[in-house]
Parts: sequence; structure tokens; C-alpha cells
Amino acid sequence: MARVAKTQVEFEGQFYDKFIVIEGEDVEAWSSDKSFEVVGKPQTRVDGRERVTGNAQYTHDIQLTGMLVGKILRSPHPHARIQRLDTSQAEALPGVRAVLTPDNVPDIPWKGGQTKLLDTTLRYAGDEVACVVGDSEAICADALELIDVEYERLPHVLDPETALRDDAPRIYDSGNLLGGEPKVSERGDIEQGFQEADEVVELTLRTQTALHNSMETHGSVAHWEGETLTIWDSTQNVYGVRDGVAKALDLPRHRVRVIKQYMGGGFGSKNNAGKYAVLAAIAAKRLGRPVKVLLDRREENLATGNRPSSVQTLKIGAKRDGTLTAMAHRSIIGVGAYAGGGPSPAGPTRRLYRCPNVRTEDFVVVTNTGPFSAFRAPGYVAGTFALESAMDELSNKLGIDPLELRLTNYAEIDPLTEKPYSTKGLKLAYEQGAKLINWAERERTKADQSANAKRVGVGMASQTWGGNGIPPAYAWVKLNPDGTAVVITGTQDIGTGTKTAFAQIAAETLGIPIEHTRVELGDTQHGLYSPLSAGSMTLASIGPAVRGAAEDAREQLREVGAQVLEVDAGDIEIRDGKLVHNGERTPIAEVLSKLGDFMITGKGARGPNPEDVSVNTFGAQFAQVTVDTGTGRIHVDKIVAVHESGRVINPLTIRSQLEGGIIQGLGYALSEARTEDDQLGLVLSDNLESYKVPTVADVPEIHAEMIDMPDPQANNLGVKGVGEPPIIPTAAAVANAVADALGVRPTELPMTSSQILNLLEQQQGT
Amino acid sequence: MKAFEHVDAPDLQTAIELLRDPDARPIAGGTDLLTEMKARLISPERLVNLKTLRDLKGIQASDDAIRVGALTTLTEVETHPLVTSRLPILAQAASQAATLQLRNSGTVGGNLCQEVRCSYYRHRDVDCWLTGGESCHAREGEHSHHAIFGESPCIAVHPSDLAPALIALGADVRVVGPDGERTEPLEAIYRLPAEGRRRRTTLATDELIAEVRVPHPEGASDGTYLKAMERATWAFALVGVAVHLSWTNDGQVQDAGIVLGSVAGVPWRVPSAEDALRGQKLDGASIDRAGELAVEGASPLADNAYKVPLARKLVKRALHHLRAERSGS
Repeated sequence: MARVAKTQVEFEGQFYDKFIVIEGEDVEAWSSDKSFEVVGKPQTRVDGRERVTGNAQYTHDIQLTGMLVGKILRSPHPHARIQRLDTSQAEALPGVRAVLTPDNVPDIPWKGGQTKLLDTTLRYAGDEVACVVGDSEAICADALELIDVEYERLPHVLDPETALRDDAPRIYDSGNLLGGEPKVSERGDIEQGFQEADEVVELTLRTQTALHNSMETHGSVAHWEGETLTIWDSTQNVYGVRDGVAKALDLPRHRVRVIKQYMGGGFGSKNNAGKYAVLAAIAAKRLGRPVKVLLDRREENLATGNRPSSVQTLKIGAKRDGTLTAMAHRSIIGVGAYAGGGPSPAGPTRRLYRCPNVRTEDFVVVTNTGPFSAFRAPGYVAGTFALESAMDELSNKLGIDPLELRLTNYAEIDPLTEKPYSTKGLKLAYEQGAKLINWAERERTKADQSANAKRVGVGMASQTWGGNGIPPAYAWVKLNPDGTAVVITGTQDIGTGTKTAFAQIAAETLGIPIEHTRVELGDTQHGLYSPLSAGSMTLASIGPAVRGAAEDAREQLREVGAQVLEVDAGDIEIRDGKLVHNGERTPIAEVLSKLGDFMITGKGARGPNPEDVSVNTFGAQFAQVTVDTGTGRIHVDKIVAVHESGRVINPLTIRSQLEGGIIQGLGYALSEARTEDDQLGLVLSDNLESYKVPTVADVPEIHAEMIDMPDPQANNLGVKGVGEPPIIPTAAAVANAVADALGVRPTELPMTSSQILNLLEQQQGT
Repeated sequence: MKAFEHVDAPDLQTAIELLRDPDARPIAGGTDLLTEMKARLISPERLVNLKTLRDLKGIQASDDAIRVGALTTLTEVETHPLVTSRLPILAQAASQAATLQLRNSGTVGGNLCQEVRCSYYRHRDVDCWLTGGESCHAREGEHSHHAIFGESPCIAVHPSDLAPALIALGADVRVVGPDGERTEPLEAIYRLPAEGRRRRTTLATDELIAEVRVPHPEGASDGTYLKAMERATWAFALVGVAVHLSWTNDGQVQDAGIVLGSVAGVPWRVPSAEDALRGQKLDGASIDRAGELAVEGASPLADNAYKVPLARKLVKRALHHLRAERSGS
């Protein structure tokens, strides 16, 4: 019988209460000392062959008979009103089939009603104006130039600090500061905390606007069969796209099917339905032909979301022995033209260390730039850079080893919720990381390896994050008469190895070889509801449902097997695809073949989250850098990363996650930045030449390890998420290593040659 | 990009004739041209393919020079035994340009004639001075990669890695046009853009570089090219430094070529630093002095002042490196 329960969930640093439905019996968590056949063993990707042979069908690969292409006209101005829009010349171009404009599409509210699908007021350079649909991309690109638009320019503001001024141009009547006031969070007595302090450090840090730049750009293919719409979408959230498109077009949900089989990267900007999906659907309906709208690299850089810039001032007070007495953290976050709120950089300040008196203040500011979106650990990446930089300044001032200072303020319970942690492996991560980087001997490393203009430094930083997963999520396991199994869920594998992990869980639970499993996902019509793949929660949300379904199927198999073999179900074990009973081994296929086409169907659902504990993830990273004082270039010699995210299902894919997060973190630390011109109101970096992600040659030696610490309270697998944690402390660890090498602290990201050379000039001048 | 006609040039003279059409552009490696066409900065109606001109490809040694055909790819320059053994500075410059894929395609002629990377010039919605606009927006805007030397309404920098190295080596270019051919120092084809002439070479649109000639009688040249970049590869120089030295019999500097890249609208030779080294012993004092002179007269803007110490330090580093190499040999 279904039970309704209320549960608290944490998603990307925010807490929500929600009702969930619990079905069937909860499956007991695997014990911490259980031994496994498949789980916890390095497993190559079950779909690796399809990917490397080019057989995997990405959204960009979809080709349908009669398919047309759509291309979007975007505002060349940061703030403008459309006075006149003439599409006649574009429509006259041979091969152009339709031009969608604000005049001929429905008034579909977008971004909580701040704008529309196609609005006549444009609030950033890149905002959608119209969409041309034609026979080819080349024809559409030519047609875009033939659309004649008369714009009325409106005053604009790009810089968040400028946008806060009274005389700044207003983007909305309610003002540029969202909510009209800063968002404040407070515990204890901050004034008293600073009075009690023996030392106080204060630091202002700036972080850039960073872009996801997924290799596969955003895009959709829309195809109608009668009244039913199918959308192939490059998305982290097939159900979210379904619901978003259904709502936009006023369709019942059963008439919208969203498919996403393979994806070339998703880091938070693909969490919802994009305008491109709705435009493609409208055009396809009107023209009676499938329509593909894929964004190009320029659009990807202008209009698909970003990690917002921040200006953060952090003040920390401590006793002489390092005990924190007060932390005050003030942030200005520029969230772009459309936003209902913004990710708080102060999450780590509220949560990473034990400190009785904390006050954080977020000024969330709208500007005439592309709207922000979630980006791998929203808020925490910028915030950890600030917090851990300030902690190192404090350790410097107090003359306490940075690692010692962190241990002094180690939070044994969650400072935010005041609940105990389900598991916390941070101390072990510190210990292991320090050993691997040779922390105790770092002064000798620096002395040995510094030479002439090269100065070596070692630094570290810590990380906390959610990653507990959320219900609801469902799975089925079908057991075929030949003993093979199919796992069916409605989640999506965004490249993280979801399919592989599910195959391991199913194979382990069913007692069959992994080659006898197949995982089906990424299709709203053929799967069961699962949440989006964000917030480091895919495995922790859906994995337990997969295990539940597999347990159900295994129990059914034992019951059926017992009757066929005429033994007690309790005497049957299932191993290596065989029913083992009293020393006899009967292949599953042999048992089931006696029952014709009988199919076992196991059902599983994700249970509620635990009430009395905080389920968090932790980690520590250590960086060794060599700074070339001649060129100001920072060469990262080595990153050591040790993280704790509960039980490790697949050591191979978890290492990929860690390495990927660290590399993305290095880009954030050293080279990636969106550049803008405030006067013109334009983004200047709109390709991968000017937006500098790390190349293979930029990747240092990375030593990444997990503290494999099953968390049986978290869920029946004992797992927590690992997608976001590894990017969180990287920039902070590198910055601390650079400060260690130079004796001056970089306070801006990215840490470019320009910043380092200027710091060195100042240092020399003083 | 817009549709265009693609014509193979049967020979150099026909190529020149085809290029008299103002709507035609020459294409060799295409690594620069195609990016401009894709961004719709330019939309030529006809591309004249030069890759069919096989005579203009390859590297040869003659009595007094090494000759590099304009269609030689950067990869060929980087790996050719004549270059690696006799002109290591050129191999170093070529090997640090772009990426291997781009170097496999990009040619010497194209590299020397490439357009600037200024993000205002490359932005389709910006009214850039270079393409006919009223003023340069970079001057008051985002100019961290822009010029610290040279008077010009345009502050974009010449991005070539090869040009500074070749100028330091004293290279000439053979230029072919409708009225025949001429040979002149490579340095002489570059001019800072000015009112009335918004381009940075003296080449007419129907003139082509056919060959680069590097005077070098024998042995290995003493030169080095250092490049500061924002990542390990695939980045244009923040500052590039090419230094080439020759020596007197008693071990003093006979002649010096010091050319900076990415600091001005053209490859930037620093004659005062070169003069200061001539006839001098290469030691700590002369190196320091050359480094200071190399950046004398720099006039940085608000956000590119870092290029001054960067250029100074790289010039010194290059000289220290050459000094160490010489004393080691």
C-alpha cells in the first residue's frame, strides 16, 4: 500500500520540504562490511563501445525524413525594444519555410513571467528575437541577415556593482536588487563574535562569469505524429523538458515524449526546457515536418546560462589558538537579465566549519547579460574560493598550519542544521591527502624545486556539499526467460556512467553477470519518473530504486524457482546466473524455460531521506604549483584529491568524475572568463578561442582517491553523489598554493599572468 | 558563411589576375580566413585556392640563404631538418603557434598576413574602427591583450609568432603582383594602420607573398623565441620575444635582432636594445640594459601594463638562455 510521507530534501545548497509517496517495503541498506561481486569493482562503461565507434546517437545526430532546420535571431543590443520587425525579405528567400516572431507565436511566459518565448523587450545581447526555419542551416543563416528589425535602444548596465547604484538603469520596475534587499542568514551574535576574536582577517575577492561550454551545444529536434509530440533534447532532465514544453504549449503530458540517449556534457545549464525546444515544436506543428534547432558555439556562450560573477567580502575572527569566533560574508552576485534568485556563495561559510557566530548577506543583482543557470555546485565553487582563501590568510596571521587550523574548527555536527552527519570522511580525506602530497615536508619540496624565476608552493582546500539524492524515483527490472535482465528507469545518463552503475547494481542484486543486463533510460514515455540529473543526485536518487526493483525480481525468481525445483525458497541462493540449492546449480534460463514466456517484473521506488541526520559529501584537495615569475604563468604540478561520497559503486567512473571536476576547476582557477564591454553592453568572448577551457596540455598530474565509506542511513545503497564535489575546492587549493609560492595572495579568478605580474610588481615596489 | 565560388589557381600569374576582383580572396590553409567567413565578418564571392601552386611550397637551402615557400605549412617549418638544424628560432616559433591540427593546415604566407584577434574586430555587432567605424572601442574597453607600443587609432596587436622570428633573422620576402615581383625586408611590409589606410601591410589585395628568404650562410643560428600564453597551447601570445644574435671572433655580440610580438599593431623591433648589444660582451649588465631598453617608450593602457614587465623579463630570459647556450658549447 502506498504511504504518503513528508520529507526534507536538499538540492544544490537549498532545503525544501516535500511530500513523497512510498510504495512497497523499504529495502534494507547493504551493510557496511558486505562483500560484493560486481559493486565496488572497476567496471568499464557498458555503452563505451557505442560511444567510441560513433554508433551512439546524440541529439545532434538525429536525422529525420523531411527534417527542417531552425536558427534563432538574437538581439545585438543589451537592452532594447523592438519597434518594427519585417521578415518579408527573409521569407522570400528560397528554402525559407517560416519565420517565427513575437507577432505570430503565442504569448508564452518565460522565466517566471519576466519575459516571453519571443518578447518585444530585449534585456541582453543574445536575447531571442525570432526564429527562421528553412531547408538548411546555411539558408537560415542567410535569412537571419535579411530580417529587418528596428530597435529602440534602452539604457543598459552590465556590471553588478554599477547596477546596484541608485542612478543605474533599471531592468525591472522593482529595481535591480532582487527582492529589494539582500538575503541575510544569521546565527549567534556576530558583533560579540568579533569582540571575542584575537585576530581578524578581511578579504575581498572577485570571481568571473564562467561558462559551461558543453561540447554538445543545447538543442532539440521536434517531431509531431498527429497530436503527439516527440522531442529529442540535449538535456539533464527529460521529464523537466516534457513538463516545460507541455506547459508552454498547453498540452497534456501524455502527448509529449522526450528522448535523450547520449549527451555531450551537462553541467547544470541543461536542467530545463529551452526556448529552442518550444520554437522547434511550434515550427514543426505549423509546417508538418520535423524541425531541428541546435545552438551554435556563439549562442552557447551568450544565451545558455553561466556561473554568475561575484564580489565577496569575507571577515573572519578567531582566537589565538585558531578557534573561529565569527564569520561575516557579504556577496554581490550578478545573475543576468532573468532570475528569481541566485546561488549563494556563502553556503560553505555557513556550513564547512564550526563557528557560533555567522552572518551572510547576498545581494542578488540583475544586469543586462545572459541569465545565469546552475553550474556544477552553484555558489559553492565561488564561495569556497573565498572562504578557503580567507582561512589561509588567517592561518598565516596566527602562524598556525593551514591544515591544523581546519582541524581545529572541524564540524562534528552540521553547523547549519545542528544534526549529526550520517557519515563524514573529511578527517580521513585530510589525512590521506596530506600524506599523498607530502604536506609535512612541503617546505623541503619548495626549497628543492624552486629555481631562478620559478617559485614552488603547496596549498590545500576543503569541500562540503549535499548529494543525498531525492525521492521520488522509480525503476523496473524485467527478467527474461533466458535469464537476462533489463533495467528500466526514466532518468538520463548525461555522460557520468549512470547506465554502468545501474547495470552493476542490478547484476549484483540479481546474481547475474553484468553482460546479462541492459539498462534503458532517457525516454519519458518508456521509463518511469526520475528526477533531473543535477545536484549530484542521479545515483543516490535512482540507484536505490534500481536495487529495490532488482530485489523484488530476485525474490520472485526464488519463489518461482522453488516451486519449479520443488525445494524451499529459503534454501535458494542466486549466483553467477544460477539458482544454487543444496549444492546443485541450475541456470536461471533452465528454470524459466519451463514456464514458457513468463516474465518476472520487479518494481522499485526510492524511499524517503533520513530525518535525523545531515547527508553531506566532503573532500580535500591539495595543489602543488610552480609560478614562473617571469611570465606570471601558474603551472599546476600536481593535484591530490581525496573525497568522501559514501560507498563507491564504480571506482573507474568515480575517478573520471573526480578528474573531470578538477580539470573544470582548473579552468575556472586559471584561464576561463567571459569578457564583456560595459559601454557597448556586449559579451566579447563568444567562442572557444577566447573562452579558454583547459587543453589536454594544461592537465597536471592528478591523484584522485575516494574514502570508500558506506552511508547506510543515506539510502539502501549507502551512496552519495560525486558529480559536483570535485570542482568545489580546486580553485581555492590552487590559489592557496600560489599565495604560498609568492607570499602575496591572488584575490581574483581567473589567476591570469596579468594578475600575477601585477602582484609581483607591487610586491617589488613595496 | 555565405555561399561562394571556389577556384583553383592554375599558376601564380592567373591567381594574381583572379585577385584583381575586389570580391575575391586568396585561400591557402584557411585557418584564419574561414573563421572570418563563418563569423560573417567578410563574405567573399570567390575564393582563389593557392594550394595548387606547388612551386610555392617547400624549404630549400641556397648558397647564402634558406628559402621558405609561402605555402609551406607551419608543421613543415617546425619539423624540416634545415630549419631545426640551422634556424632553431624559427622552429621554436612555428611549434608554439596554434595547435598541431592548425599548423598542419596553416601556411607561412597566411601566418604573416593574418588578421588581428581583437575581440572587437571579430564581433559582428561592433562598429570597429578597422572596418570603417568611427573609433576604437577597445581603447576604453577590454584591452588586456592590446598594444603597448605604436601610434595608431587601432590598438589590436599583430598576433603572428613567425613574423618576429623571421624579422629577427633579417628575412626578406618576395612579393608577386600584377606588375611583376619585388623583394623587400619582411619588416617593411608591415605598417601600423592609420587614417586613410586601415590595414597593416603594404601588400595590395592582388599581391601575394611567394617566398620568404632567410639569409644564413652556414651553421646553426643563435636565436630563440619565447612565448607567454594564457594556457599551455592553442593561445595567441600575450607577448612573444624573438632574439637572434651573431658573434664576433672574440665572442662579442656582432649583431642582434630583437623583435617583440603581440605588443603592437605590427611585429615590433626594438632597435635601441639591439644597438646596446652590438660590440658588447653578453653579460648580466648588458642583458639587463637590453631588457630595459626593449620596453622603453611603452605606453600601456589601464589593463595591459603587465605586458611591460613581461616583455622586459622575456627579453632578458632569451638573452640569458643564449648566453648559457654559447658558454655551454
